[in-house]
Amino acid sequence: MNEGVSLPTAGVADAARSDASEPRLRLEGVAKTWPKQEVPLFAHIGLELQPGTLAVVTGRNGVGKTTLLRIVAGLISPDAGVVRLDGLSPGENRRDYHRRIGFLSAGSAGLYARLTVGQHLQYWGRLAMLPAAHVRSRVAATLELFELGAIADRRADRLSMGQRQRLRIALAFLHEPSLLVFDEPWSSLDGDALELLRAVTADFGVRGGCGLFSVPIGQELEVVPAGRIFVIENGGLRPL
Amino acid sequence: MRRVRATAAGAAAIVRRDAIIFSSYRLRFLSEFVSGALGVTLFYYVSRLVTGGEFAASDDYFAYAVVGIAVLQVLTAALVVLPMAVRQELLTGTFERVLVSALGPVVGILAMAVFPFASAVLSALVTIGFAALVFGMQVEWSTASLALPAAILGSVAFLPIALLMTAAVVVVKQVGAGSGFVVTCMSLVAGVLFPVVLLPDWIEWASEAQPLTPAVDLLRNLVVGTPISDGSVWEAAGRLAAFALVLMPPAILALRASLRGARRRGTILEY
Repeated sequence: MNEGVSLPTAGVADAARSDASEPRLRLEGVAKTWPKQEVPLFAHIGLELQPGTLAVVTGRNGVGKTTLLRIVAGLISPDAGVVRLDGLSPGENRRDYHRRIGFLSAGSAGLYARLTVGQHLQYWGRLAMLPAAHVRSRVAATLELFELGAIADRRADRLSMGQRQRLRIALAFLHEPSLLVFDEPWSSLDGDALELLRAVTADFGVRGGCGLFSVPIGQELEVVPAGRIFVIENGGLRPL
Repeated sequence: MRRVRATAAGAAAIVRRDAIIFSSYRLRFLSEFVSGALGVTLFYYVSRLVTGGEFAASDDYFAYAVVGIAVLQVLTAALVVLPMAVRQELLTGTFERVLVSALGPVVGILAMAVFPFASAVLSALVTIGFAALVFGMQVEWSTASLALPAAILGSVAFLPIALLMTAAVVVVKQVGAGSGFVVTCMSLVAGVLFPVVLLPDWIEWASEAQPLTPAVDLLRNLVVGTPISDGSVWEAAGRLAAFALVLMPPAILALRASLRGARRRGTILEY
């Protein structure tokens, strides 16, 4: 991580929080059953993350780690239960909710082959509805923080897999979210990049941001230093 | 006010993105122009066979067909290009970024319509210009400058149908064949390449029930001076505006409902 360059987190979120003792992220009784399936994927997921908490969700393949993260990111609606981020609901307060989410899906998709690294960051800054005056400074800071400056003018289809992943992670941080939702973020990262991710994530936690990271079972400590670890089992979530 | 500006800036970023991607393929506009020019050339020679009947001279049919081709380019951009663009975004995983953005998918999809429409309107104008320059099509210069706002109005009138097709993409994922079918049906009943009066009586009502008919009537009148058989220029423009105003709210509601349903079923990122 570049010394002296950091991304202040959760500024908008902190201003909106009515009660500092409230958890930043709260899941309560979250249930999900896929259509035409008799057995629910989740029956009673509950989770509270206080500001500064980084948490790992693990479990065997197919238990619903990605689905849980997508529910938290507001991509999938639960059948029942409550999802709140800084008191906001993904259904009722969609815009403000998504303003606070930094989402990274699994894999390497989600980039436009013909856009450069810099154009991706500019584009995302606008989609995140950052104030116009902030977009340029946020892009510059993010390029430096994630050591992307040297390839800022390179098209996404000409990046290595590791560079693509670093760009995808940088996009998730760009708009100063208060919650990171990362699905298997270490994919394709080499040792230095993994160390960078650990450092940036730890700094994010120190600044009051929360993180929810999905990792396969057995690799819980790969990404997040000193985080809480939860495992999905039998349709519920329990601390490991 | 700040939120409105930020929304406009987010939508503009999508238009800029599409423009960058389009222009990164250097031969794309040229290939579209060549395709349009070949269509015009084809109909020039077909028009040589048309004498009598609804048209006093071959050149009259040629002008009739050229404006039809131009409007068809815009309709295709609406009904085929936008839904296909959303499907492409689903395939490449980039739609997810729009879904988790503060801007959101509804404004995002509306913004994704802008560049294809603008590009198609430009292509349509180039097609008409090509027909005038190369084949000597008589243009009504006194009103031709109004073709641009008329084409934009036509685009807005087609937009609700495009949104419905896009909502279908969100739900069933594949609508390529359906879009082509709708474009063909609308072209058939709207008098794009032949006059509506040639249709059987029992189907002529369909030409009044969709926005393509007033769009081609209006543009033909402005570009080549063809009289509007059923009313004035203002009436045709009014009908286009009415289609847009009446159909837009239910189209947006349908798009919202498709997104909500896909979130509930967990299929929103499937393709």
